[in-house]
Amino acid sequence: MNFDWSVVGAHRDALAAAAGTTVLLTVTTMAIAVPCGILVASVRLYAWAPLRAIATAYVELFRNLPLILVVYWAFYVLPIATDLRLSPFATGLAALALNVTAYNAETFRAGIGSIRRGQLEAAMALGMSRAQAVRRIVLPQAVRRILPVLASTWVSLFKDTSLVSVIAVTELAYVAMQIRAQTFRVLEMLTAMAAIYWLLGYPQAKLVDWIQRRYAVTE
Amino acid sequence: MSRRAKENGAKIIRYRGVTKRYGAFEALSGVDLDVHAGEVVCLIGPSGSGKSTLLRCTNALETIDGGEIEFEGAQLPRVERTLREVRRRMGMVFQSFELFPHLTALHNVAEAPRTVLKARRAEAEDRARAMLAKVGLSDKASNYPAALSGGQQQRVAIARALAMEPDVMLFDEPTSALDPETIGEVLSVMKALADEGMTMVVVTHEMTFARRVGDWVAVFDAGRIVEQGPPRQIFDAPTTERTRDFLSHLGWHGATL
Repeated sequence: MNFDWSVVGAHRDALAAAAGTTVLLTVTTMAIAVPCGILVASVRLYAWAPLRAIATAYVELFRNLPLILVVYWAFYVLPIATDLRLSPFATGLAALALNVTAYNAETFRAGIGSIRRGQLEAAMALGMSRAQAVRRIVLPQAVRRILPVLASTWVSLFKDTSLVSVIAVTELAYVAMQIRAQTFRVLEMLTAMAAIYWLLGYPQAKLVDWIQRRYAVTE
Repeated sequence: MSRRAKENGAKIIRYRGVTKRYGAFEALSGVDLDVHAGEVVCLIGPSGSGKSTLLRCTNALETIDGGEIEFEGAQLPRVERTLREVRRRMGMVFQSFELFPHLTALHNVAEAPRTVLKARRAEAEDRARAMLAKVGLSDKASNYPAALSGGQQQRVAIARALAMEPDVMLFDEPTSALDPETIGEVLSVMKALADEGMTMVVVTHEMTFARRVGDWVAVFDAGRIVEQGPPRQIFDAPTTERTRDFLSHLGWHGATL
């Protein structure tokens, strides 16, 4: 079998741009899904019962659907249902954010639930409102406690962005597959793709580990 | 100051017929008690007799099912907004300290002045430093709670409550979670507070403290106060069988001080 690795070098600009899109997609998704996850978790924990039921339904729906189905659904159904015309990037972003928000909401809910009730009471006994107590005392502790889970969600998300290639978002998986189809260098392109994903993903995982050590709270 | 002199002072807290139920269990079944300005009132009695519950009802961490609690002449509000106004005037110290583990000692103390009283950062931190000095922990300002001993943590918790300049301090078994060798340092801080004239309600198993520092002692049993009076009466001449039982159970055989 012959290998021709020059195909990777020849397309390095396209691959670099695609990798940039993958990173951008990951960062933007998380930038949306963290605050939204906190919001959904807060609604599930503290809000008026009907709102709580809506938040629960949302979480259970998106947590139990295959992501690729959500991506297709956002691509085909969303424009018809809402008359919204989004770019493939925005569509993919919406699908990823809907999915990851549901996961993050559960993570935050578990984190908040793991903080002793006495902490909330101590804050409220000082005269803080419930909202202040949650924001200033409970949430910062919860976030530190769930950092490892958020980190693995991040790393999963980084890889799962490849699923939006099915709606032609020009991220790493899509572009690598395009080059493969044009050049027939299947093994080289798949290997290059694996290498790029790994080289980008590993430092991210290490960075999150570092953040976790830096901000860990001991009791 | 004697109890009699303090009785001339305003009633700061007034409990009348207070009841509290958890399902079928009646935690408080009609409690009457007065706390006057400058007084140290100790609540003693066996575990589960309702003394901590009464304390937690005082700042509405628990709601009462019957009777009334008056604080500074007004009934405890039910609305969260006005309740906050009341809570900030009552400091509370918990058995398990409940320091905020993600904040340094200084920031534990400065947090509520910042968020509740809207003090400027420098002002809140100056006040926090003064409070830490008061409990003898100036040198621990930048330590996180995990790096403090139990006694030190509880002293920071007292400083945290004092930083709000409360009219009354509520202590919920403040030394029950401590190692024996650190109980003394917490009790001396509390004694110093009492000497300054702070009004205090103290749930405690420290009979020596109740006798020496308390102005008034209430003995709880099964959700009721079975006897209340000055410490001399409670410890030297208890009038009820329940009080005698409870004290002898603790190994208290009259005055040893």
